[in-house]
Amino acid sequence: MVSFRKGTICAALFYFFSFAVTSQTIKIGVVDYPPHINFNEELNKSPLIKYMNSILLPLNYSFEYIKLPRVRASVELEEGRIDMLMPIPVIKKSIITLPLPLFYATPGLCFKKENFIPILSATHRFNNLMIGFPANSSLVFALESSKANLVALMGENAVNRGIELTQRGRFDAFYHPSPVQVYHRNTAKYKEVACSYFHGYSTPIYVAVANLKIFKLLNSAYQKALSKQSYEYYFANRDN
Amino acid sequence: MLAKNKIKSFFRQSFLLICILFTCFQSIANENTMKYLINDITKMYMSSMVFIFINQPLINQKGGDKGDLFGERFMQNIKQTYLAKYDEQFPAEDHLVKRALVQAMVEVMNDNQALIYDDEIGFKGIIPATFAFQLSAKLATKGVGLKIKFTRTAGSIRNKLNKPDKWESSIMLKIIKKPQIYYDENAQLNGKPAIRQFTPLPMAPYCLACHGSPKNNPLNKNRKKSDWTNIDITGFEMENWTMADFGGGISISIEKSVFQ
Repeated sequence: MVSFRKGTICAALFYFFSFAVTSQTIKIGVVDYPPHINFNEELNKSPLIKYMNSILLPLNYSFEYIKLPRVRASVELEEGRIDMLMPIPVIKKSIITLPLPLFYATPGLCFKKENFIPILSATHRFNNLMIGFPANSSLVFALESSKANLVALMGENAVNRGIELTQRGRFDAFYHPSPVQVYHRNTAKYKEVACSYFHGYSTPIYVAVANLKIFKLLNSAYQKALSKQSYEYYFANRDN
Repeated sequence: MLAKNKIKSFFRQSFLLICILFTCFQSIANENTMKYLINDITKMYMSSMVFIFINQPLINQKGGDKGDLFGERFMQNIKQTYLAKYDEQFPAEDHLVKRALVQAMVEVMNDNQALIYDDEIGFKGIIPATFAFQLSAKLATKGVGLKIKFTRTAGSIRNKLNKPDKWESSIMLKIIKKPQIYYDENAQLNGKPAIRQFTPLPMAPYCLACHGSPKNNPLNKNRKKSDWTNIDITGFEMENWTMADFGGGISISIEKSVFQ
């Protein structure tokens, strides 16, 4: 009789907890990072959202995406108001990420089309050019050691202002930590500027998670998805 | 009793001999696997560079269908180039590093998609050497224990990130006068045991368009000699190399752990 009661209680607890887990909603903060996540179109059309859905759907959790501005997004994660955040470079050691990056961001220079320099290892071509850069970004050695006149732009909106100043001819070029965000085929800027890359200087971009419980939940599913197809390869084949 | 002991000893010795032979065969088989893999990777890499060279008009043209440069169609074209160049089928993607290389090729072209379709840019800068470097940089992020580099002697490298390491410099020193493939099964990569191979490339006429003398520079075509420039289309000063010069080579390193 006693063991029957124990068994019933265990079963009830198991049912309760499994229900609690499956009914939990994972809150996923996303930041605008075109062309991977594009706030200017329906979120479900963004390739990174499609890829992440393919990982999360089999987990039988409900999940919702929350659009966040870049600066606030990390705070929301740290304070536990969201469970995940993507895509982000690791800027603080305290942020937990899934171990393998989603993709890599390669920095580069954006030019007015008529001033385009296609190969940035030709650093002698930077001599005396006025090149702007966001003050909070670290420059690649090739640019830092060149003979360009480097001008730091302050403020949160430095990247957008820098691109605009380049369009207007006030800068000869602007250093962008990830020019793919402005130079891809679905953006208005594509007609205005052209960007080339400092290949070999890339930075990993991750999925960050709020705590170890979420980490455990997601990591094996993420690893399994990566072993089938990495996000970068999925992204490269999305139109084919 | 004596006969019994003799039989026992015979079996013991035979067993030992079989074990030794098995280990030898296994080690020879491993060695062959490693050699085949490094050769396949070299040829796959070179085929992609040849394809990029042949398709310079398509890459740099304004408009038109450029689908041949992306995704599955791109890989089919590289496979055709491989077949034409080596008269054999493109290797099966039966190893992690081969799959990583194929995927990296597709990803690199995708990274250049915006530029390739930009009709307001004439010369896109996607030439065999830059494609090869982008591929190397991409592979470095994959963590599969494969490193590929298209390099030359230290003083003559345009992209500083492509400078040869100690092993590559020493091999080039050995083979520069009499270029031949150099294979090293007991090398190191990032402090780990690795196999490495350096395959020298003969200088080809198309190399001279950038690395030759002003008379080889396509930018000087239809110009008076007095107006010739020694700056090539990529923006670098030409090196005045000739067909007799050393063309550099493909350096491939694979960590031995990928064979385990």
